[in-house]
Amino acid sequence: MDSTDTVSTDVLIVGGGPSGLAAAIHLADSLKKRGIDDKRIMLIEKGNAIGSHNLSGAVIDPKIFKTFLPDVDISEIPLDSEVTVDKTMFLTETSDNALPFHPPYMNNIGNYSASISKLCKYLAQIAEDKGVEIYSGFAVEDVIYKDGKVSGVKTKDTGVDHHGKNLKNFQEGTTVEAAITILAEGTRGSVAKKVIDALDLDTGCNEQIYSLGVKELWSVPEGNIEAGTVYHTMGYPLQSGSEFGGGFIYGLEDNKVALGLVVGLDYKDPSFDVHAAMQVWKQHPFVSKILEGGTIQEFGAKTLPEGGYYAMPKFYDDNLMIVGDSAGFLTTARLKGIHLAIESGMMAAKAAAKALVSGDTSKASLSYYNELFEQSNAYEEMYRARNFRQAFDKGMLLGGLQFATQLITGGAGVLGRLRTEKDSEVLMSLNAFTGVPFAQRFEGKLEFDKKFTFDKVTDVFYSKANHEEEQLCHLVLNNPENYNKVNIEQYGCPEASFCPAEVYELHTDKEGHKELRIHAENCVHCKTCDIKSPAAGITWVVPYGGDGPDYEYM
Amino acid sequence: MTIISLMKQVPLPSEMRMGEDGLMDRTKAKSIINIDCGYALEAGIQIKNENPDAKLIVCSMGPPSFEESLKKALSMGYDEAYLLSDRRLGGSDTYATGLAISTMLKHLGFGKGLDEDFLIVAGRQTSDGDTAHVPSQVAENMGIPQATFIETADLVDGNIEAKRIIEGGYQMMKLPLPCALSFTPTGIDPRRPSLSGAIKARNSEITVFSIDDINLSDEKIGLSGSPTIVAKVANIKSERAPVKMSEGHSETELVNSLMENIKSGKNTLEVKEKKEKKEKKRPEGFEEIDFRDGASGILTWAEVVNGKISRPSLELLTPARDLANQLEEDTQVTTLLIGKDIQDLAKELVAHGSDEVIVVDDERLEEYRILPFSEIFAQVIKERNPEIALFAATTAGRELAPRIGVKTDSGVTADCTALEIGEHINRKEKKIFAPILESRRPTYGESKLATILGFVCPQISTARAGTFEVPTPDENREGIITNFEPKLKKKEFVSEIIETVRGEGGLQSLFDADIIVAGGRGATSDDLKLVQELAAALSEQGVKAEWACSRPVVDDGTAEYARQIGQTGKTVRPKVYVAIGVSGAVQHIAGMKESETIVAIDHNAKETIFSNADFGIVGEYQDILPELIEKVKSGFTFGLEVKK
Ligand SMILES: Cc1cc2nc3c(=O)[nH]c(=O)nc-3n(C[C@H](O)[C@H](O)[C@H](O)COP(=O)(O)OP(=O)(O)OC[C@H]3O[C@@H](n4cnc5c(N)ncnc54)[C@H](O)[C@@H]3O)c2cc1C
Ligand code: SF4
Repeated sequence: MDSTDTVSTDVLIVGGGPSGLAAAIHLADSLKKRGIDDKRIMLIEKGNAIGSHNLSGAVIDPKIFKTFLPDVDISEIPLDSEVTVDKTMFLTETSDNALPFHPPYMNNIGNYSASISKLCKYLAQIAEDKGVEIYSGFAVEDVIYKDGKVSGVKTKDTGVDHHGKNLKNFQEGTTVEAAITILAEGTRGSVAKKVIDALDLDTGCNEQIYSLGVKELWSVPEGNIEAGTVYHTMGYPLQSGSEFGGGFIYGLEDNKVALGLVVGLDYKDPSFDVHAAMQVWKQHPFVSKILEGGTIQEFGAKTLPEGGYYAMPKFYDDNLMIVGDSAGFLTTARLKGIHLAIESGMMAAKAAAKALVSGDTSKASLSYYNELFEQSNAYEEMYRARNFRQAFDKGMLLGGLQFATQLITGGAGVLGRLRTEKDSEVLMSLNAFTGVPFAQRFEGKLEFDKKFTFDKVTDVFYSKANHEEEQLCHLVLNNPENYNKVNIEQYGCPEASFCPAEVYELHTDKEGHKELRIHAENCVHCKTCDIKSPAAGITWVVPYGGDGPDYEYM
Repeated sequence: MTIISLMKQVPLPSEMRMGEDGLMDRTKAKSIINIDCGYALEAGIQIKNENPDAKLIVCSMGPPSFEESLKKALSMGYDEAYLLSDRRLGGSDTYATGLAISTMLKHLGFGKGLDEDFLIVAGRQTSDGDTAHVPSQVAENMGIPQATFIETADLVDGNIEAKRIIEGGYQMMKLPLPCALSFTPTGIDPRRPSLSGAIKARNSEITVFSIDDINLSDEKIGLSGSPTIVAKVANIKSERAPVKMSEGHSETELVNSLMENIKSGKNTLEVKEKKEKKEKKRPEGFEEIDFRDGASGILTWAEVVNGKISRPSLELLTPARDLANQLEEDTQVTTLLIGKDIQDLAKELVAHGSDEVIVVDDERLEEYRILPFSEIFAQVIKERNPEIALFAATTAGRELAPRIGVKTDSGVTADCTALEIGEHINRKEKKIFAPILESRRPTYGESKLATILGFVCPQISTARAGTFEVPTPDENREGIITNFEPKLKKKEFVSEIIETVRGEGGLQSLFDADIIVAGGRGATSDDLKLVQELAAALSEQGVKAEWACSRPVVDDGTAEYARQIGQTGKTVRPKVYVAIGVSGAVQHIAGMKESETIVAIDHNAKETIFSNADFGIVGEYQDILPELIEKVKSGFTFGLEVKK
């Protein structure tokens, strides 16, 4: 509309998670080292405040902090506690047994448990102190292009009603022109997705695949679990062979415990419900005794990109770099991405600093980011585990065996590169699925008492999710007619099952007519629907900045 | 032109806590721009958009942490921000706050004369104070006209044209500049800041003043300078047990579950045995102080609406009489009656308990107008020197009382639900202040009951409508009727009322109904058809049923004002109140919470209506109601007995 709503910067970072903040901090450091102090670094975060949209386990591999924050002693970083007890349990419906060995890569002694929300707040302060401008509560809707090359971004217009009509308080979004744009949107970035598509950055890559993690933070009586104790569980309630994943239970300071269930979204049962599965898991004696007498503090959910090395898109282009989860930097075998997010941010920062100095922000110049990656620890780690997840398609135990052979053969396994299929395409229609449907499998365990086990609505309350009503629904039905025909009739509306926040409701009226209802206000921005909805039924677009969950210690 | 927005930062209402001392503990809650102030900020921007040369400035008074919200105002589009921040201001009541803010505005160069070109926009009230006083007090201190409870305002040919919400309708007003407006949270929603605005705000400075900077002495501000104090804060125990929610996967199951729930009865609260109150011993050797200094008697205002005395003004005579009885034997209840052709109404007031009615009959005063009315009160108070002045907490009463308070240097207590005569013991100074008016008012989202004391006469309070009974009239009662000729200047009449639109008072049937089916904004997609059908079906069954609605439904024209329940509508107490698609704004709750049984139906489980209900269904009303209507047709009457 008017030109005053255009601002410009040298580097623009989209997303204030570990990867974006690391890019900002390291770029400020690198520029300073080169004696440059006239470059503007801007970071935009959609969460109401830094940290409010970040969710992780988390157990963090702290080695990266030595190079990332060389002047800071690890004790100054607000991590939670050092891991001193680390066990992997194999659960059956009634029993639990500690595995006598750690599954490959899963040793955590010496790592630190942490709240990523808190860590991000801390990093944001460091970034601000180094001159980075951080703007939270603003949603980047899209990148802008000039001559086919990325030249910045535009934030979302606000003040429109749910039909898209401008209201009296309409506020046009701001155009930000940037020499370099770094996308650090985390898992399934909504802008990154469009850019990767537009610039064909994923040609020849494996399909990216994801898991969904559903997490609760509890406060429990003293003695239930020690800070620094971490458990991972395999087995129950997941089915070996068709469902990948497991649980995590991390003892934190002040008698808090972070726990969650992470399930691969390549499951087949259209009625599978990760949130409900987590509630079932909580009823297992091994888990319930840890929570006994406690109360829930927070709830949240988020997906993780698990495709690994072969699913990473090309993460640089003219004036553009992609870091962290958005570029697939995560090692599923370790359930860890934070250290890689930080490392990728640092590498992108180095490439950006070099490009700003030379004044050349072209693809060729930014390929330095890739060069750095190929010599990095991140590469080493991800390349070794490159077939881990694909192997687990064969089931947890068998996969474990195969992964063991992979490690011996340096990651190649016996099969070379293993392929993946899109999560949404693995899902089976009601007719095609011949297994026992979810509700039947866990009959008797799906009545939630709202004290120990929770229905989704109650849990969402603890995420503090909220969305303004006056806006276009941020969950876009791509083709309503097709949706009814395929997603409802053939698949029985799997969205209602897989969405962990009760956003989707399949409503059947008296005449038996079925329709989808969307309660967008509940959305916790996990992105599962964008990933798993059959026939790409739903696209997640970014809502108004500041809307969404409000995590404090997730 | 300069548009000055007065803004306060408040703790997020849901996270509010009050300290032991009755003062706010702001440390633990997240802070936001007070909701109503957000609407004022937007109103300022709207006027600026039409008048691009206008300058937008935002002013606030509070601790340095308020800078966060001032920055937000800057990022919404404001040009300059000023903060009055000084420890010595801590504990200021609304009188002191109004004084301090207007002193800051004067320091900024405003308020020198009536030819200036500025407009003050403010929020109607704050969520942590709920008084709605400050805009009136600032206006009086600045000596400018005002209009409160404004929904929208435009600048037309150099004058402000504003829509003011009143009981049962609205008023279009025209005010000259300079003037002050206070906004209700029903107008245009505050915009979200733009990124470019946030960037601009980041780089702009907020000017912070201390009281010395603006030459304000600490005599009349802070805890010690304020005419009122918060003497006590008690928890209000909810009288309603937690809601019983229906369970089920379809509307049939949900409605069946509701019927079961109603049959088995509501949840009950455990009633704890009340402990015998210990007689408070009066400390010995304390100096007893009668600060009234000759002031005596109780003055009330009789508000005239549509040629009749409004019900809340009659209700007011109940506490007035009670207070008089608690005071010296000859304490008089005097009522001020202002209007046109109102002599007859004076007798009605006497019948309801006024000892004397002071009548101001003037054709210019047919409709209530703040400037002449407050001036008349000031003159009457000067002449009569009452110790207490009471107003009904109507939209008029709530702006009139504080404006008068500034004229008489008294504090004002807003929206009281209990008034009593008591004493105040100051142990430090070994003094007992007695007799003193103890005004009790709910605050913090109706969760606390605060007792407020004022030490300057008249002690002014406004009383919540619907709280006190109308006294039984006695036609044989005798009283004095006096005419009063105020001296009014032309400047008292600078603002005009262009038009007053009031729905017919009518629909008495709402007061008599046993069951009221009320539709809110969430039930309007069929223009309340289903709501009306449900009420009709109940009538057919032989229950006294009526339908009603919440304010937004009236505002958008779906229903007439007479059906509006809530603070600016009717206060009802049916046996059963069925709220459909009603979010549960406090203003609505105020009008229906005395209902015996409340049933809430809404699609959003998080709406506050559910914490005020006995039975609840979460679902789309379009699905639930047809089912419910069918059940009613086959005999279900929400547990009400049917007299055919
Ligand atoms: C259940 C779970 C458990 C995990 N456990 C561990 C663990 O134990 N250890 C470990 O190391 N890792 C763990 N991970 C992975 C780790 O959390 C991620 O790899 C890491 O957070 C990625 O960082 P990031 O900066 O790329 O993305 P994020 O942390 O997701 O940050 C991205 C940020 O970008 C913002 N954003 C997105 N889109 C936009 C937009 N359009 N406009 C503006 N802002 C936007 C988001 O709000 C968000 O704040 C776990 C993940 C999950 C889900
Ligand atoms: S709507 Fe989509 S992104 Fe939001 S919570 Fe549900 S599945 Fe996750």
